[in-house]
Amino acid sequence: MPEPSTAVKNFPRRDARDKLRGHTRYTVDRGRPGMLHATLLRANTPSARIVRIDASEARKMPGVRAIVSAVDAPGRHGIGIADHPLFATGRIRYDGEPIAAVAAETLAQARAAAAAIVVELEPLPAVISMADALAPDAPLVHPDWRSYEVLLEGGARAGNVAWEATVVRGDVDAAFARSDVAIVESVYRVGRQNHVSFEPRAVIASYEDGRFHIETSTQVPWSVRNATARLLNVPPSQIRVTVPAVGGGFGLKFDCALEPFAALLARAAERPVRLVNSRQEEMLTCLCRENAEIRIRSAVTKEGEIVGREAVVLMDCGAYGGEQIFLTTMTAHTLGGNYRLGAVRLASRAIYTNTAPNGAFRACNGVYNTFALERHTDEICAAIGIDPLAFRRHAVLGDGDLGSTGQVFESDVLGPMLDRMAELRTAKPSKRPMAGPRLYGRATTVGTWFVFVGPSAATINLNADGSATLVTSGVEIGSGSMMQALPQIVSNALGLRPEDVIVRAADTDAGGYDVGVGGGRTTVSLGAASMAACVEVRRKLLEVASEMLEVAPGDLVLADGRVEIIGIKGSGATIVEVAERAQRVVGPISGSGSFTGPGVVAMPGCATGHFIDAIDIPVFAVHECEVAVDPETGHVEVLSYAVVQDVGRALNPRAIYGQIQGGVVQGLGYALHEEISIGAKGRIDQTGFETYRTPLAQDVVPVEISLYEGAPSIGPLGTKGAGEVPILNVAAAIACAVSNATGRPVQELPLTPPHVLALLLGNKPSLELPHISASWRDNVFAEPSCVARAP
Amino acid sequence: MRLSLEINGEDRFSLSDPLTPLVDVLRDEFFLTGAKVVCREGFCGACTVLLDGQPAVSCLVPVGLAAGCKITTVESLARDGVLSPLQRVMEEYDAVQCGMCFPGMLMTLTGFLARARNPSREDIKEALVGNVCRCTGYERIVDAALAAAQATVVEG
Repeated sequence: MPEPSTAVKNFPRRDARDKLRGHTRYTVDRGRPGMLHATLLRANTPSARIVRIDASEARKMPGVRAIVSAVDAPGRHGIGIADHPLFATGRIRYDGEPIAAVAAETLAQARAAAAAIVVELEPLPAVISMADALAPDAPLVHPDWRSYEVLLEGGARAGNVAWEATVVRGDVDAAFARSDVAIVESVYRVGRQNHVSFEPRAVIASYEDGRFHIETSTQVPWSVRNATARLLNVPPSQIRVTVPAVGGGFGLKFDCALEPFAALLARAAERPVRLVNSRQEEMLTCLCRENAEIRIRSAVTKEGEIVGREAVVLMDCGAYGGEQIFLTTMTAHTLGGNYRLGAVRLASRAIYTNTAPNGAFRACNGVYNTFALERHTDEICAAIGIDPLAFRRHAVLGDGDLGSTGQVFESDVLGPMLDRMAELRTAKPSKRPMAGPRLYGRATTVGTWFVFVGPSAATINLNADGSATLVTSGVEIGSGSMMQALPQIVSNALGLRPEDVIVRAADTDAGGYDVGVGGGRTTVSLGAASMAACVEVRRKLLEVASEMLEVAPGDLVLADGRVEIIGIKGSGATIVEVAERAQRVVGPISGSGSFTGPGVVAMPGCATGHFIDAIDIPVFAVHECEVAVDPETGHVEVLSYAVVQDVGRALNPRAIYGQIQGGVVQGLGYALHEEISIGAKGRIDQTGFETYRTPLAQDVVPVEISLYEGAPSIGPLGTKGAGEVPILNVAAAIACAVSNATGRPVQELPLTPPHVLALLLGNKPSLELPHISASWRDNVFAEPSCVARAP
Repeated sequence: MRLSLEINGEDRFSLSDPLTPLVDVLRDEFFLTGAKVVCREGFCGACTVLLDGQPAVSCLVPVGLAAGCKITTVESLARDGVLSPLQRVMEEYDAVQCGMCFPGMLMTLTGFLARARNPSREDIKEALVGNVCRCTGYERIVDAALAAAQATVVEG
């Protein structure tokens, strides 16, 4: 195989031109002959018993072709636990929950019919906050939780606690009892974040030749296929999912969404059906980054050794478990990451509430746990009187250190990354003068994240014109991985130009199983599967060339569109000539490959209820920012922002810079002004762009970026995912900087001007989380006993 | 009632109700799906088109009020398959990610650059106050627009 370094280039993306010309047809831009328009009837109450649904009058209305509800979709799906029916079944669990779906000739007709469906409800008590849900005698969101099918064993569950994952390593009680330690305790709370992907969730479904064809805006075609099959009670092979260009995902589209509704309607109406969420529906039922509450306590020596740490994280999953069940796993690697720890115990609990379900969002769980961990670290530094930068340089994870679940980290990465950031800092003057009379603050934070590896498949067809077609179930959601990284990887392996690699859009009838596009896994998992496919293609190509050129395959090399005899330039044949000959003599050349995470070892028994006990590819980040806080208004201006990111190998540095700038800005929105509040009746207050404030061009600064290469990675050519992690420690950096500027403890996000002003004026009461007991054991169902002890 | 519209230099006719949002007529009747419906409230800018050279959010313009205006959509920026200077520089700078906001961004900037004389980085950011982007973090779009503006100054 050729040198990895020859794959590195700022290859432009094939899809840019059509996107710039307005020619790209996203799902929302598509239609089919005879297509119907659909809408959902959604609940407008957070908790109720369904007494009666009567659609008989609605069915008679003009243009109506099909109406479906819970009786038409008996299954339940979920992650870890199958708790989620397609339609509200028996009871309403959140405001916005679908009750029925209508397809009609026009959208207006569908909406009119939905409004005419009679729904008789009997109100039930609701739990809106996690404190409500955990109160003694709280009403249960799922009274039948015991009866649900468990899809992954191991998580503790009961009542409104949908899932509990715990980590215990070493003797934490002994660590906290030591006489030479300072004990620092902190609590934090964060709200939800909406992805605001510009293309809403959208689908067109049809039922043809006894099978469903679902064309949808998703990151996970195979999850859509499998969940739809489960909900509709049909074999998964009876569902074909195809995915056009996706207009933004960020994790929102990492779950099955509108697809089963459209599929059911298409089968019932025997016509293609289009279903698209309005912006208001996207705001009210978005699978947001979850709100969370965190209590963390550390025992630290005056030399700065963290000898004991314990934490409890409450994650609001809303009415159904969804992604949060899985994400309880991540606390072990985020709150348990960054620093060398002695004994540690962590509990992550996903809590049911009568609110819209939450979901995955870029560096899910990590964003707020990193905020909490880094603010807590600054509080530790204040308590023991150590400079925060010096503390971090001393305490970050290094070669041979143990993660919270006992995984052994390889190589010193975070330490040298902090040194790199120090170089950036000293190379440029501080922006402090720009603050003028405002309060100035600076902070440097570290973060630990991972690449969500897992099964991927790839097939490559080598065409007789010297091009290659790459068939996978990957989706281009905007990050460029499918348009840039994969063609670069394949072309490098086969000696082609990247523009001669055609990447087929996802189609579950053509590409093999894939976990989906998210978790920074596209370049790594699909790239590795593609590399494996290249090995087969290369072998077949060289066999044919060997016969043509009468040279052993081992003496041949693929480069610049040619098969050459090693050391003799111009000696061989073009790949076109060899591919043509192959087609005639042995048949067209193709190759297939696959990949899955190899699994890194954790200490036996440390982790309970985890989907991943150890992380295959850790990814680290160091962020630094300077802020100015206006003491009159509480407004925070970001003066500078710098990122040192661990990327393994940067295949397309310019594309990674684009991901970092974009990810940091999404993080700035989360840190400073994207606020979601939930009213007393369980409805999200923010209904659109007017009330939900995303960053605008004038809010942002150019991010100074340094890519840290060379850290170990099992990714193809030494790569790591680069698109997910840029958002990881933004809120941490901003919160620490604002805290430094104001001299006030920042315990909550976002740092809106009223919030910051209240901090400055001393009007903000210290956060209390009485529903998280100060005694760690009181917060868990069962304490696991770790067999191994920390060294 | 038949509405006469001038879209991208061509005379077109619509039978839509005059109160129909222009963006729906462009997309549903003429299949000009470049303009995107993202918020329908005039906040995001993804449906921006030019009306007599001025950027306007087509979700808030009733089609009846667009009759008599020269309506210019993103589909018209490239002539005979050749990208406009602004489109070209966006491609060269690798500015595009998901791409949903770009039709609106391009129309706002096309209208702005046609009038602005030697704009600064801050001027460009101010011009983009009504165009939200969720992917890029803006700066590369601004870099590209600045380069386009400077090229225009040199060429002009």
